[in-house]
Amino acid sequence: MATSKGANTYNRQNWEESEFPLLCQTCLGDNPYVRMMKEKHGKECKTCNRPFTVFRWCPGARMRFKKTEVCQTCSQMKNICQTCLLDLEYGLPVQVRDAALRVQDSLPKSDVNKEFYMQNVEREIENSDGTNPVGAIANKVPSDMLLKLARTSPYYKRNRPHICSFWVKGECKRGEECPYRHDKPTDPDDPLANQNIKDRFYGTNDPVADKLLRRYQDMPKLEPPEDETVTTLYVGGLSEAIEVDDLKNHFYQFGEIRSVNVVQKQQCAFVQFTSRTSAEAAAEKSFNKLILKGQRLSIKWGRSQGQQQSTKKDDEEEMSEHQRGQCRGKFFISIHRERGKGPRVSVHDSSDLCT
Amino acid sequence: MPKIKRSRKPPPEGWELIEPTIDELDAKMREAETDPHEGKRKVEAMWPIFRLHHQKSRYIYDLFYRRKAISRELYEYCLKENIADKNLIAKWKKQGYENLCCLRCIQTRDTNFGTNCICRVPKPKLESGKIVECIHCGCRGCSG
Repeated sequence: MATSKGANTYNRQNWEESEFPLLCQTCLGDNPYVRMMKEKHGKECKTCNRPFTVFRWCPGARMRFKKTEVCQTCSQMKNICQTCLLDLEYGLPVQVRDAALRVQDSLPKSDVNKEFYMQNVEREIENSDGTNPVGAIANKVPSDMLLKLARTSPYYKRNRPHICSFWVKGECKRGEECPYRHDKPTDPDDPLANQNIKDRFYGTNDPVADKLLRRYQDMPKLEPPEDETVTTLYVGGLSEAIEVDDLKNHFYQFGEIRSVNVVQKQQCAFVQFTSRTSAEAAAEKSFNKLILKGQRLSIKWGRSQGQQQSTKKDDEEEMSEHQRGQCRGKFFISIHRERGKGPRVSVHDSSDLCT
Repeated sequence: MPKIKRSRKPPPEGWELIEPTIDELDAKMREAETDPHEGKRKVEAMWPIFRLHHQKSRYIYDLFYRRKAISRELYEYCLKENIADKNLIAKWKKQGYENLCCLRCIQTRDTNFGTNCICRVPKPKLESGKIVECIHCGCRGCSG
């Protein structure tokens, strides 16, 4: 067991020593001249319970002092920050990142199993270059979901001091000079209030992760249409500058383009592929992401080839076709398919339309 | 009971003039020593001790160096008897340390990064609006 520094260092999990902590930008703070304290074997790692080198620093004015909570081996295994236990590249909880990358990291959690596993991981880390993640996360392509959910700028609200419990009771005698926050405490009913460091580390039952995953579910998505013959994408939000060639040059990477039709008046275009798969790939890669010549283009599914021919006509003409076919009785309901959008139902008095 | 005198000789002239003030300060000190610790932080309980110590030394220092109201003999008698802190007074004679609160606040060995206490930072240099009470003696700023 790693409870004493002991004599036997062969094939045992030893106390950890490190030179510099593995931290994310938010934890480190905004001051480039941060002063850090180092204490060898200062505390036990919160997950593996091994004494490790504790680093402690002030992340900025009016921030609480932060210190490393888990040892460097544990954090390298999961590629997380030693203090906040969030991913080093994306700033996301372990559960979210693993869900996005579909990584099933089964760490043993019980005593000797854990130590044996850690020992092996340590050896692997030693042999690798210190800059790349080791273990299950190595060589993983960043997923779309991760990039959408990731934080782009540091979130210093995390470094604020804790709530002054005396002030909550109304008894804070320190007043202005109290270094703790005089704010109302978090609601105990809120599921985000019961977080557990072991849960956050292993990626199970993490309420913050659940919240993020739910948020991702609610993000706008582009569903492929059920009609299998549709291989056309509607591209909206075109400006004057964008031309047929620009669209061709972008979309050819997904597959052979059958045709590109730009309707300048409507500021849109229809890109038709030869195969359904290439159309789907194009949709996935471009939905809410495509920016051509500074304009963000909106991508939707178009309609099948036959129907598309009719939309090239003017709106009025289309209406009149409907009218001629369906004008009977006092009221009629016209189901009018507009370009690129779904069917729109409108009720008209027959007197308006029948000519 | 009156404070124990370390020397066997009687105190020099002028002693009767300062004795009542010294006695008063001693009484306050005893009070600060026996105060209960309820409602105070662990460090906060020590603050009155340091404050009174500073006050006593300040009294003697002022009498001799500023007002020149006592003789050198009496002054040195006070230092010998430890009524005033000779090390603290030695600092007060230096430029920049005239209002030093206590000797702990300039002891760099006590701090993590080998600096002085926060109370030694002059007010204009300290980010404005920040109220500091140093943990050693509760000083709110002893230079500038």
